[in-house]
Amino acid sequence: MIHLDTISNVIGAILVFVGSLMLGVLPFCIYFESGDALPILYSGVITMSVGAILWWYKFRVKERVGKRDGYLIVTLAWLALSIVSMLPYLFSGVLPNLYDAFFESVSGLTTTGASVLTDIEVVPKGILFWRSLTQWIGGMGIIVLTVAILPLLGIGGVELFVAEAPGPTSDKIHPRIRETAKKLWLIYVLLTGILTVALYVFGMSFYDAINHSLTTMATGGFSTKNASIAYYDTPAIQYTILIFMFLAGTNYTVIYFGLKGRLKKVWSSDEFKTYVILVLGLILLTTSYLTFALDMPFERAFRDSGFQVVSVITTTGFVSADYTSWAPWLTMLFFMLLFVGACAGSTSGGIKLIRHLVFFKNSILEFKRLLHPKAMIRIKIDKQIVAPRILTHVLVFLLIYLITFLLGSLVMIFILEDFENPFLSAIGAVATSLGNVGPAIGQLSPVDNFAQVPAAGKWFLSFLMLLGRLELFTILILFTPYFWKRN
Amino acid sequence: MKIVIAGAGDVGFHLAQLLESENQDITLIDTNDEVLEHANKHLDVLTVKGDAASIVVLDNAEVQRAQLFLAVTTSEKTNLLSALLAKKMGASQTVARVSNAEYLDPIQLKGFQEMGIDNLFSPTLLAAQEVDRLLQRCSFTDVFDFEDGKISIIGITIDRDSPLVNRSMKEIDKTTPDFLMKAIALLRSGITIIPNKDMVLKSGDHLYLMTKKEYIDQVTDFVGKSIQKVKKVMIAGGSPLALPVARILEENYKVTLIEQNNESCKRLVEQLHETLVIKGNPSNLDLLKEEGLEGMDAFISLTPNSETNIITSLMAKEAGLFKTIALVDNAVYTHVSQNIGVDTIINKKVIAANNIFRFVRKGKIEAITSLHGVNAEVIEFVVHKSNQLTKKPIGKLHFPKQALIAGIVRGDEVFIPDGDFQLQIQDKVIVLAMPEAIGKMESLFQ
Repeated sequence: MIHLDTISNVIGAILVFVGSLMLGVLPFCIYFESGDALPILYSGVITMSVGAILWWYKFRVKERVGKRDGYLIVTLAWLALSIVSMLPYLFSGVLPNLYDAFFESVSGLTTTGASVLTDIEVVPKGILFWRSLTQWIGGMGIIVLTVAILPLLGIGGVELFVAEAPGPTSDKIHPRIRETAKKLWLIYVLLTGILTVALYVFGMSFYDAINHSLTTMATGGFSTKNASIAYYDTPAIQYTILIFMFLAGTNYTVIYFGLKGRLKKVWSSDEFKTYVILVLGLILLTTSYLTFALDMPFERAFRDSGFQVVSVITTTGFVSADYTSWAPWLTMLFFMLLFVGACAGSTSGGIKLIRHLVFFKNSILEFKRLLHPKAMIRIKIDKQIVAPRILTHVLVFLLIYLITFLLGSLVMIFILEDFENPFLSAIGAVATSLGNVGPAIGQLSPVDNFAQVPAAGKWFLSFLMLLGRLELFTILILFTPYFWKRN
Repeated sequence: MKIVIAGAGDVGFHLAQLLESENQDITLIDTNDEVLEHANKHLDVLTVKGDAASIVVLDNAEVQRAQLFLAVTTSEKTNLLSALLAKKMGASQTVARVSNAEYLDPIQLKGFQEMGIDNLFSPTLLAAQEVDRLLQRCSFTDVFDFEDGKISIIGITIDRDSPLVNRSMKEIDKTTPDFLMKAIALLRSGITIIPNKDMVLKSGDHLYLMTKKEYIDQVTDFVGKSIQKVKKVMIAGGSPLALPVARILEENYKVTLIEQNNESCKRLVEQLHETLVIKGNPSNLDLLKEEGLEGMDAFISLTPNSETNIITSLMAKEAGLFKTIALVDNAVYTHVSQNIGVDTIINKKVIAANNIFRFVRKGKIEAITSLHGVNAEVIEFVVHKSNQLTKKPIGKLHFPKQALIAGIVRGDEVFIPDGDFQLQIQDKVIVLAMPEAIGKMESLFQ
């Protein structure tokens, strides 16, 4: 059974909330006299009104949100969100075309960070701030935010929570889902605040500092500068952002334990360990190549490679150097990184390390099983046996991800046939959209942007970004016959 | 001293037996009539029937007057609860047997001590540690360290091709001038003998030697055993002991564990992180060979069945394994199985009982150890004050015949005393004593 009234109720509440956030941008418009106050006001008012109608249409506290309702609510909520958050772009005339505005909006909410804006610096400050804010909202997830703040989701909150932040396992840090959500948001707000202050201290203007910390903590990658982070060529700023990108890619449960001083628990997380080792390994590899083969000064090589590696692996997509200009094999390496992702339970997108870890551990154990057919060999993460169901789920996820990538690339190559290098550009664009990263390869390299992609391509990539953000299953399940069958 | 023991099962009975020979006043509590009757028949003890975790029963056993309360039933919860109650009712010292080895972590143990349980012990953990110790010195059947290894006592089986066969003690003493070594006990056909100078060793004898830790390699060489380091271990059977053993061993060795029961396998896989768990019959030689039996260095047989353990150990020995250890709970098999080739026997209840026995005697003496199958104890005494011990040389002290001074630790030095040796205050004296001589030795050193 699908409860339409429940769905309308929850989505209405979310829209009212998002509308109020939109109005929260107004002080920036007024302060900077950027002339975009009216479009934002209209957008906010429209969003809130639509939300209010949906909310009051059937206003009552829900008994229970079922599994189906959960998936449907999350998908529809994200769709509704993508639609309303493109209103400021449309009304202000920054992006007059529907497909451009929708692409920018989805790219923001899914924390992808691919942009169709050719000159970011001329965009009114209010709109730009909204653009950064969409990433921040989408980073931790609108549902998680709603669960944390509004009491309307009662006991069904778990279903939504799971559908929005799927991951193979969900660890709660509090017995109540709402308290867990609150703690996650608290950490999120706290880190964003610290980063803003740090960037301000290191020489960014307050406006740029807050924009960049919003998009850094969300692992989004929208910048207020055309040159992205390369604009700020000061080590202090780049290292600060590097560190916070890394933190944003860490499982928030791990950060929570870290903040509580339980370091033993932090290091007992296999995924976190893998994350640290992988990032350090890649930085070492790239730095040494840049230093010794390309004769870059060591500090430059270390900073550029570290920044690019962390930016891509956490699916942030900030750019401080063009990795496609280094060497063909490094381009390939960064292309592969589009499929990695950071830790589950973070704001990063992509496949996420935990799934790779399960996959690789299981593959290695498969060889052991061949040698010892009678042995009982189980895969363990954090010293716990991974349940066969979760193992299947992970393997299926990886396969569907791969197939989605392949089919998506096929479609995209067709769409980009006028490009100089359709093949590279298409597979890059699809991988970066699915993984919510941002920069790609080919003609969509870190220094290019997505304005050149035809309208059909923008719609298609927007779909892929949503698909990737909700980790495939939440959206794909709507296309299965089981979902629509009674019971 | 009044001692109350809750639980007259294997461990309780063995403990009562050890303590009874010391003329202690023992009260046994158990719910089972049969075991109490058995105890009454064989031991000079008082028995009380009832649940040891009941205040009335504890009162009947006059726990309030007890200097020591030992809770050793098979139920961990009964043990913990009755030890707590006994302490509250006035018992001066309480010890409880637990099955969960995690309770012995210093943090957890401290919590229990604050509540009133003075000491905890886990028979399985003790046995597991014993297995670990045996594998570290796998040329020997037993190894015991005193005073941090200043004195070690090792047990060896004299094989047919040992260079010691048909040689007398006198000859052996003469040929080892460059390192410290002394034969202190001999087990021949189940009888314990304190060897004299003219005794000749025969194949099949089980010999206990005293030496210093640093000479152990030389001694190994001298008695014709090879020094081999164990790397790969196979454990057959998933008895409750297998888990702690594998958990300790997997830190240092490559462990393969074979267990038949599906559920046990699952439990083992869940709790062990390095060990390779194979599901199959541990007495199926083909399976063992398939899983690399011949390449293993040691084989530990831990099925719940003593006979199976002895047989599989023999099979492993036959396959050329260097070291075999078998869990044998039936004390009757101990001598026999060592005679037919099983290297070492682990007996959980003996290990556990000895451990508590040691705890009971703590304070009076420094340390005590029972040798496997040998009807004697190795006890460490300290010369506390100057009395007749320090006035006359050892030869004139009239030590009982059933006791032998194995070695003396003075500061960092170790001596093997002869009749003219003069004891000093603070000397630590390692004594091997048959049960009838223990009391006498104790009063000498008081």
